[in-house]
Amino acid sequence: MKTTLIAISIIAVLGVALVSQIHFAHAQLSQTTSAKQYLNLRAEVWNEFFRMTTAAFTVGAIVSGTMIWLVWRFRESNPKNKSPTKWEHLEDPTAGSYEEEGH
Amino acid sequence: MVLELQKPRPVWQIMFSTHHTDVGYLYLVFGITFLFMGGVLAMIIRTHLFFPGQNVLVSDSATFNRIFTVHGLTMLFLFALPVANGIGNILVPIMVRYKDMAYPKLNAIAFWMNPVGAALLWLGFADTTWVSYAPYSIIRAPGPAADMFIFGMKILGISSILSSINFVVTVLKCKHPDLPLRRVPLFAWSMLTVSLMTIVAMPTYAAALIMMLTDRLGLSGFFNPFAGGDPIAYLHLFWFTFHPEVYIFLLPAIGMMYEIIPRFSRKPLYSQASGVFAFVMLGIIGFASWGHHMYSTGMDFTTKVVFMIGTLAAVPASGMHVFNFLATMWGGRIRFAAPMKFAVGGIALFFSAGAGGVLNSAMPLDFISHGTYWVVGHMHLFLIGTIGFGFVAMIYYMFPYVTGRMYNEKWASAHFVLMFWGTVQTFFTQHLLGLEGMPRRVYDYPTDFTSWTQLNQISTVGAWLIGASFVIFLASLIYYSAKGKPANMDDPWGIGGKYYYPVSAKNPHGGHSGY
Amino acid sequence: MGHDTAEWVFVAIVIAVLCYVGVDSWMIQKEVEDVPADAEIIKVTGQQWYWSFEHPNGTKEVNTLHLKVNHAYKFEIYSRDVMHSFNIPDWVVFEDAVPGHTNHAWFAPNEVGTYPIQCREYCGLLHYNMRGSLVVEPNT
Ligand code: HEM
Ligand SMILES: [Cu+2]
Ligand SMILES: [Cu+2]
Repeated sequence: MKTTLIAISIIAVLGVALVSQIHFAHAQLSQTTSAKQYLNLRAEVWNEFFRMTTAAFTVGAIVSGTMIWLVWRFRESNPKNKSPTKWEHLEDPTAGSYEEEGH
Repeated sequence: MVLELQKPRPVWQIMFSTHHTDVGYLYLVFGITFLFMGGVLAMIIRTHLFFPGQNVLVSDSATFNRIFTVHGLTMLFLFALPVANGIGNILVPIMVRYKDMAYPKLNAIAFWMNPVGAALLWLGFADTTWVSYAPYSIIRAPGPAADMFIFGMKILGISSILSSINFVVTVLKCKHPDLPLRRVPLFAWSMLTVSLMTIVAMPTYAAALIMMLTDRLGLSGFFNPFAGGDPIAYLHLFWFTFHPEVYIFLLPAIGMMYEIIPRFSRKPLYSQASGVFAFVMLGIIGFASWGHHMYSTGMDFTTKVVFMIGTLAAVPASGMHVFNFLATMWGGRIRFAAPMKFAVGGIALFFSAGAGGVLNSAMPLDFISHGTYWVVGHMHLFLIGTIGFGFVAMIYYMFPYVTGRMYNEKWASAHFVLMFWGTVQTFFTQHLLGLEGMPRRVYDYPTDFTSWTQLNQISTVGAWLIGASFVIFLASLIYYSAKGKPANMDDPWGIGGKYYYPVSAKNPHGGHSGY
Repeated sequence: MGHDTAEWVFVAIVIAVLCYVGVDSWMIQKEVEDVPADAEIIKVTGQQWYWSFEHPNGTKEVNTLHLKVNHAYKFEIYSRDVMHSFNIPDWVVFEDAVPGHTNHAWFAPNEVGTYPIQCREYCGLLHYNMRGSLVVEPNT
């Protein structure tokens, strides 16, 4: 449940961020064409570049943030990780899978 | 088959062997040797570009063009493919519980074509660039270098088709009947996928090479506009092979990460099914995007849109791998031994390379990025960041298996820190250089733009750090394979259990519960 | 929460972002490929290792191109030997010169100044030095 909520809020944040960007793109397009005679080609392309990098860095911040947290939280030297995982009694802890254990 | 250096055999016994582990060792030694030869060329390129307008190390553009061409060819075809094949040779038969590759003699033949191809590439030292676009490669590239390049690539291409057939038959036909295909470990799945892709993709390039040769000889004019041909046709044939081929370079490294990450997280993989699905998806959709290399060749709008959609469609599959890795680490108890460090570093760089790739696929951004140092930065995040890190991780992981000894963890950490830092510094900076407009494949650049000089110097220093890290790597490999502490062959890293390859290799029929 | 749900949510987010990238690129590309009807045609020819230009009135220039500010120009790009790529980085003008093909690019400079022109596709020995300049002059 908690995870679903987190997931939904991430989607919502991303959605709002991206949709508003499309809006800006429109606003800007209509502005450039009405104020000047010709389309400002380089502005269009660079603006798209900055929109795309915004999206890339947003997703990147989430993914790399998660990664850094994972590395910090689940390193074996973290005091919270003193007790073995439930798979470690196996001869090969990577054996089996979530699917089979009906996780 | 294990403990090579503790029970030495005469070299010729390995050389004339057709046993899969021996052929695997040959591939590994070959590939690692060329990693260092290509690396020396990379250091020459970067050092030369430290100062604009100077003749540091290389004093003419003819030589410089040959150097970056052979660097690219070496790293792709004499390092990336052989190392993947080497590790595949050693592990795939074990993973599918068969005694050898399906066709051992074919396997040895496929390997021994590599030194021949390598000799042609290095003795020729062509200046065609690795993509060898027509009509330059036909009407201007000097022979015999360019002809030797054609024959070298031809031989390497045939070798790669032969070894692919071998992997496909080994996995599909020789796998133990008790082992359902969907339970085959993901590294073997990655080799299966890239082998199938090679069989579909490579013949096109093989044909294009022959056409290029006859064009060069003046017998035909397929790609020669001055004989009625069309260079764009060459570009289509080339990228039809080589866009899929970039996934062929990449996927084995992803497969290796699948081997390492659950192991050091002490936990089962998050989802085998999702890994298999992502491999197969990429293997199919990878064929729908080759045109994204040709946006600027005069392609019409609709064609561009089709190839952009094809490119974007391949992204979710890569995203699923990243998700699978992170979800596997979640809830584990992770030992950051060298293989795990490199694997996790590789995931981070893989992700950033992928994010850059999404930007590349956006058609208008091609105006800014195509043909600039942006592309060099982007592709090296895959080539060094993902393939390089994945392979290095796997080499550390297999070190005890091959030598019976342990490498030194401190030196491995030093290697990791230098290589990670260096990769970020070198190749992130090159993205900025590209945005500033610096073209790729240039011998020199104008002194007028201070930012070009500064960014080039930052990038070069980063390359030196990578170079230093590989000196540590080479020294460790040699020293610790002779002088390292003997490894505990059930569990070299002391992470608990009995799982390591000697165990699975000795009990191929189910002794190893993992497979 | 089911084991697969998290992954589906993740894949859905990725696909959403990709759709955004695709739609945005489609829109912008459509815009920038629309050449103004009154654009003046400049013939650009690449050859090893320099650029030559021809104005509609027949004036020819080599390596330095003079244009007027606030005018639209359409480049017709040819190559006389191997592939080159015509590039004015500051104005985001970029298209390959392919022998046997005629390619197009356009722009409407709105600032006076001198800007570098370069070749962005490998074309041999002096590719690195296949550079020229664009001079955008005030309207008289
Ligand atoms: C120390 C690590 C490396 C450094 C510093 C490095 C540096 C470079 C540079 C500066 C170029 C651009 C040359 C130019 O455009 O003028 C280049 C090209 C290239 N590199 Fe690397 N590289 C490294 C490792 C690798 C690896 C591991 C691979 C592949 C597995 C690779 C594959 C290529 C390819 C395919 C090209 C394109 C060649 C061409 O333009 O024809 N490099 N490298
Ligand atoms: Cu591609
Ligand atoms: Cu050029």
